[in-house]
Amino acid sequence: MDLLFSVLLQLFEPQHFMFLILGVLLGLSVGILPGLGGTTGLAILLPFVSSFEPSMALALMIGVLAPTTTSDTFPAVLIGIPGTAGSQATVLDGFPLAKQGFAARALSAAFTASLIGGLWGAFILSISIVFAKPIILAVGFGEQFLLIILALIMIGALTGANLVKGLASCTIGLVLGAIGLAEITGDPRLTFGSLYLVDGVPLIIVGMGLFAIPEIVGLLQSRSTIAGKDGLKGGWSQGMRDVVSNWFLVLRCSTIGVIVGALPGLGGTVVDWIAYSHMRQTAKNPENLGKGDIRGVIAPESANNAKEGGALIPTILFGIPGSGNKVLLLGGFLLIGIEPGIEMVTTQLDMTYLIIWSLALANVLGAGICIFLARPMSRITTTPYYLLAPVLIALIFFATYQINRDWNDFVGLLFFGLLGVILKTFGWSRPALLIGFFLSSKIELLSYQTSAVYGFSFLTRTGSLILIIVAVVTVWFLLRQKIQNELQSTDKSQQQAHMIVTASFMVFPIAMAIGVLGLDARASLYPMVLSAVLIIFLIFILWSQLRSLQSTRIGTPLPDKVLMRDVFSQDGALWPQLLEFSNLVIFMMLIVIFGFPIATVLFVICFIVHREPTRFVIASLLGFTLVGLMWLLSNLLTLQYPAGWIVNFVNLPWWLSGH
Amino acid sequence: MTSRNILKSTAIAFTISIGLASAALAECNFEGETITIVVPFGEGGGTSQTFGFFQPYLQKYLPGNPLIQMLNVPGGGSIKGANQFHNNQVVDGTYLLATSTSTVLNQAAGNPLVEYDLGAYKPVALIESNVHWFTSPTVSATAYDLGPLKERSLNLFALNSPSSADMFHVWIINKLGLDNARPIPGLSSSNGYQAFLRGEIQLSSHGTANYLRQVKQGIDAGEITDLMTLGWIQPDGSIERVPYAPDTPTFAEQFETMTGAPLSDDDLDTYMAINAIWNQASKALFLPTETSDEIVQCWTNAFAEIVKDADFIAEAPNRLGPFPLIIGDDARPVVARATSLSDGVVDQLNNALKANRLSYRIER
Repeated sequence: MDLLFSVLLQLFEPQHFMFLILGVLLGLSVGILPGLGGTTGLAILLPFVSSFEPSMALALMIGVLAPTTTSDTFPAVLIGIPGTAGSQATVLDGFPLAKQGFAARALSAAFTASLIGGLWGAFILSISIVFAKPIILAVGFGEQFLLIILALIMIGALTGANLVKGLASCTIGLVLGAIGLAEITGDPRLTFGSLYLVDGVPLIIVGMGLFAIPEIVGLLQSRSTIAGKDGLKGGWSQGMRDVVSNWFLVLRCSTIGVIVGALPGLGGTVVDWIAYSHMRQTAKNPENLGKGDIRGVIAPESANNAKEGGALIPTILFGIPGSGNKVLLLGGFLLIGIEPGIEMVTTQLDMTYLIIWSLALANVLGAGICIFLARPMSRITTTPYYLLAPVLIALIFFATYQINRDWNDFVGLLFFGLLGVILKTFGWSRPALLIGFFLSSKIELLSYQTSAVYGFSFLTRTGSLILIIVAVVTVWFLLRQKIQNELQSTDKSQQQAHMIVTASFMVFPIAMAIGVLGLDARASLYPMVLSAVLIIFLIFILWSQLRSLQSTRIGTPLPDKVLMRDVFSQDGALWPQLLEFSNLVIFMMLIVIFGFPIATVLFVICFIVHREPTRFVIASLLGFTLVGLMWLLSNLLTLQYPAGWIVNFVNLPWWLSGH
Repeated sequence: MTSRNILKSTAIAFTISIGLASAALAECNFEGETITIVVPFGEGGGTSQTFGFFQPYLQKYLPGNPLIQMLNVPGGGSIKGANQFHNNQVVDGTYLLATSTSTVLNQAAGNPLVEYDLGAYKPVALIESNVHWFTSPTVSATAYDLGPLKERSLNLFALNSPSSADMFHVWIINKLGLDNARPIPGLSSSNGYQAFLRGEIQLSSHGTANYLRQVKQGIDAGEITDLMTLGWIQPDGSIERVPYAPDTPTFAEQFETMTGAPLSDDDLDTYMAINAIWNQASKALFLPTETSDEIVQCWTNAFAEIVKDADFIAEAPNRLGPFPLIIGDDARPVVARATSLSDGVVDQLNNALKANRLSYRIER
């Protein structure tokens, strides 16, 4: 106990504290930028870590990881783009709240919930140091398998009224996730002989394509600022009061966050959705959910900060990373000579305490800074679209390039961006698709692993029984909801467009089925089964769409999004969105010709001046600031930007991809 | 004036005084240059960490104290970065490739996407590792009696991907005559170890770093039973036990115990190839094919100096492991063994894959 508090005092020494704040500021920054997260923050840090004293490096690294899911709420609420994967569910209600002028209330509720969730995570982490080992050892292959099935059922719940479309979206994700080398045999599945697809499509590409691009396209199309001119009105205390009056929800969702975080592999991408689904199913009056209910902000935000504490349990005790950023954190641990394992609770207990206190303090600092900076940050929403959009587009392309430094990522981004626009316009569930994609390889592997170790006997293990009961209860809640027929636009051509889209999605299962035809059964069985299931779903949806097309019933002409309860889908025809999408294609072509940095200047300036010819000065300023930042990052990360065709003729400096 | 400064000024005076006499050495003065080490893996990965550790020492001991930067080019299981290196070779000693087992194996296994040729490059240094196998006390086998393991109806072991170095597990376990052993697919070594701790699999393995970090204490506490190591090949070709587990037999010893005869012919060749890929060249640093002998010499000299540095000697066991580096000419035969497999070796490995119903095959 003495050690516990002497470590806290150590953390308050000026040097340690400075490192912690430095980390927190970096974490907040990467959290705000869409597409970037703790993983990127740590990747930037890691080269420098070994030059610091271990305890300071620890404060720095934890400082980066902890607050990203606090500050990622800014873009989620203000512009409807999740700052990191952990705040995707926050968008559902946070963005509508901002549109209704309650941005301040949503943000303060989110920061308060994040703070409490983060502290709860640190608290559970400190307790679990004593008990975690037997718990983690009890979660075998069978339990992991059931847990993922449970997660998928919950996604069905998330898509609500349109159960079949939600499950179909999820299955499309599972099919796309099966691209790449077969998990069991190493046979290439639908890779078209390319090196790029051998590892499958990168998750970040799918995430950014499906979520960020459709929002930007929508922003371009709407040609207005995102929120009203008012920006942040009052409501700060209201948000905090919301959290207090929902204290039990915060506690439950924080606990979900800790548990999901502690389970290896599930990690940050799903924790916010699971918390959101839980909240939805237990909410007393769910009518307003998805349209701006403060509980829809509180639930995911308390969970996504709490998960850090949970995720550190397997990381510290077993050296088993639960997510991408924990892999880097472990790399950092090794660089400063900290070895995960039993030492962390014996000889190096002081380091473990330092991690716990850093986590707690970083959450307090992160939430505090966010509230303090909220007003300047909120100006993002009152920025005209023609200034914000080109910067966001450049940012997304930059983040994309960070993944593999591969041209194909740009192609993938455009493909999934287009898919995202179509899904959004026609009311398909993008979150379900993303989660299906993410969990696909895990499901395949776990089904083989479970059958090899247990056969069907895994179903009788205690943990399995608990999970099965939870799953059955979830399904029961699901079936209680009315499965409504799609009441879509009464416009016939609109209906026909819906059917064309549904039919064209057949290309996924059919291509996959043909692609795996000649392969070993262990490589082809899983994608074949998925393809069959998906075809059945699609035929069912087509059939129901055909029925509503034929019916002469004049239903209440509800717009799709009311039924979908999906903020990501908004009114808008496909064609104007495709026109705006072409901006991305133009940018891509500029990159091909000039290389990334020069293309960015040209694109930003031309775009702004084209829309608003009077703003030439600010356009140039913005363009060259971006290039300055790129130059800085190039130096920090030893980064060479994608080369353009122009390098064959002009001598460029190294960072501009010259020779 | 401190002694170091005196030394420094003496050295400067000395350099000036011999002037033209040092022209041969001046050919590899990297002063003011930036050296790029292509790392075909992501930041923070094992290969980045290993060569990141060398960064300050290389800067200190390479002539001219150049800036050392690592260029991470991840993707395609390291094929992408290594291909990029291959197609952009700069031969002035400022452009190098860092590899790990998977880079070597992709070439050895004849992956059609591989364009690079490690066998043609000039190896600078290899950082060696080892592989350990262990089981649970409930199996009641020991390193000196594998009988109980052989008698069980089913032994499960982790196999991440048959196209990775994990394929060697299949050959190793088959060669011990453990016909009842079956691979569980899709388990990385850390997930496999966790499943082992949960009692879901019986045979588990780890590389040196994780063995020392995680497994050793379990062995000392009697919770885990050590079975064998892959073995440590000496410069003269003999196979030794690893220094930090002197009571644990090598695979070669276990093979002899189980079959009554020492490793020979194709078995021995296969073993040597596996050891070269998995252990000896588990991390390696290469200069391009056409690099001049002087420049290669410069680099190997720098490594020869680094391993004498007091700080390095103190830190290396924690950061690189307990094995000495294999530098320069000593590395060449190892790289050759690792990258070009004889038909006999390919048959051995493919037969083991086939016997375990794995469809992956090494291409000739």
